[in-house]
Amino acid sequence: MKFGDFTALRDISLDIEAGEFWTILGPSGCGKSTMLRLVSDLVPPASGSVEILGKTTEAARLAREFAFVFQDATLLPWRSALKNVELPLEIGRKRGITIPTGDRTPHELLELVGLKGRENALPHELSGGMRQRVAIARALVCQPKLLLMDEPFGALDEMTRDHLNLQLLDIWKETGTTILFVTHSIPEAIFLGQKVLMLKANPGRIKEVVEIGLPFPREIALREAPDFNAYCGRLRKLLEDC
Amino acid sequence: MAVTETPVTDAAQSPRMSKATHQRLIDIGVPVGTAFALLVIWQVGVRLFGVPQYIAPAPTDILGVFVSEFPLLMRNFWPTLIEAISGFFIGNMTAILIAVAFVHSRSVERAFFPIAVFINTIPILAIAPILVLIFGPGMTAKVVIAALICFFPTLVNMVRGLQSVSPQTLELARILSASKSEVFWKIRLPSSLPFLFSALKIASTTCVIGAIVGEWIGANVGLGALIIESTFNFRSPLLYATVFVSSGLSVLLFASVSIAEKLIIRW
Ligand SMILES: Nc1ncnc2c1ncn2[C@@H]1O[C@H](COP(=O)(O)OP(=O)(O)OP(=O)(O)O)[C@@H](O)[C@H]1O
Ligand SMILES: [Mg+2]
Repeated sequence: MKFGDFTALRDISLDIEAGEFWTILGPSGCGKSTMLRLVSDLVPPASGSVEILGKTTEAARLAREFAFVFQDATLLPWRSALKNVELPLEIGRKRGITIPTGDRTPHELLELVGLKGRENALPHELSGGMRQRVAIARALVCQPKLLLMDEPFGALDEMTRDHLNLQLLDIWKETGTTILFVTHSIPEAIFLGQKVLMLKANPGRIKEVVEIGLPFPREIALREAPDFNAYCGRLRKLLEDC
Repeated sequence: MAVTETPVTDAAQSPRMSKATHQRLIDIGVPVGTAFALLVIWQVGVRLFGVPQYIAPAPTDILGVFVSEFPLLMRNFWPTLIEAISGFFIGNMTAILIAVAFVHSRSVERAFFPIAVFINTIPILAIAPILVLIFGPGMTAKVVIAALICFFPTLVNMVRGLQSVSPQTLELARILSASKSEVFWKIRLPSSLPFLFSALKIASTTCVIGAIVGEWIGANVGLGALIIESTFNFRSPLLYATVFVSSGLSVLLFASVSIAEKLIIRW
């Protein structure tokens, strides 16, 4: 992956199994966002290819097989929470494109992320954490097989973040979707992921893939466990070596 | 203890409640009072120094003329209102359509933006006689002048508004494979509305200026014509009354746009 002469990512070769939860860690500027943008067909690879369930990224995009959650919620401020969740269903409808819809209605998705009763609130009437939850509900509305998340909880406080981490694990378990989750937080990466992908910078390459052998379902108390702290120490060391 | 405390908190709250209403009274009362005091000073000053009425009429003279000449004022109010509103709609619609064209095509923008800037640099007072020559003494010239004066601020604001969409929102649209027209109708246009309304508020007062300037140059009806006529005939109370009606017209249009903004933009 190149921007002009600058190589942002090199020799990335990965196989991610359907249904897995991967978290991605790495120093700032190592190409974590770029990697998600490659997968989501926002930027083209300089060489090589990305396949999502046997399709090109473009075909997967047109079929709505993946969804993206950004660091800030990116809601449309004039639309209510419910209308924001419905946006993906509206785009393409007039052009006669068949839009995959999940088993859950937008109402049920808002309920799933704990926003029942706030359907008609405008984004500015919601807290940062609530807005991010609306964004997650929006990402789920087409029942994506792959969920790409770029530091979705980076701007939230510790408590809200813990709460949303648990919610995300529930959603993952219920929907069985594959998740690629970029984060800056080592504990968050360990707590959520089955595998942690560690990238290193200049140019961005794979440093290591660490399997997290902690059992699911995971509870907040897991963070006090000695195993958990052992992973923390190991990943911190890897990150310092980058 | 609790029983004796309750009235204390009550007593502490009620002055605070009345403080809020008090504050609101002050907010309204102070400017109104100041305006009234200035009128009184004006009235007393004019009478005290015996200023001739044709130089500075007293407020009561103006009020008298406003009542006695009300039909005349209204007869001249309607044409100006129609010109101003027509100019407002034509000027702003043109600006909005051109802004849309600019945002859709860089080459259109490169070709026409310098021309728009050039038109804007011509003082409206300089171009008005030319327009009256072209369109004659009827309403058309005034509408065109009013439209012209609205045009540029709306064009600039609308272009900025349509471009105010964050890169991330556009990435979201791309991930959803949105078409160009979907991006326009569902994202760009709503994003531009706050920008559009700040331009419309400017236009709501400048379109009245445009219509009046047009009437100065050649018209036998309208508030602008009445201003010229009463000036040349030394009918100062009528002149002042006309000026107040003109500013009343601007306030009316500004308030209408502000109310529309409040109703439409709730975010
Ligand atoms: N559009 C672009 N044009 C040129 N260079 C870019 C562009 N986008 C990203 N880069 C460069 O690519 C590299 C990787 O950027 P990327 O945003 O993927 O980093 P990141 O790992 O997500 O960092 P962070 O943790 O700070 O979000 C950086 O060095 C950045 O400067
Ligand atoms: Mg990033």
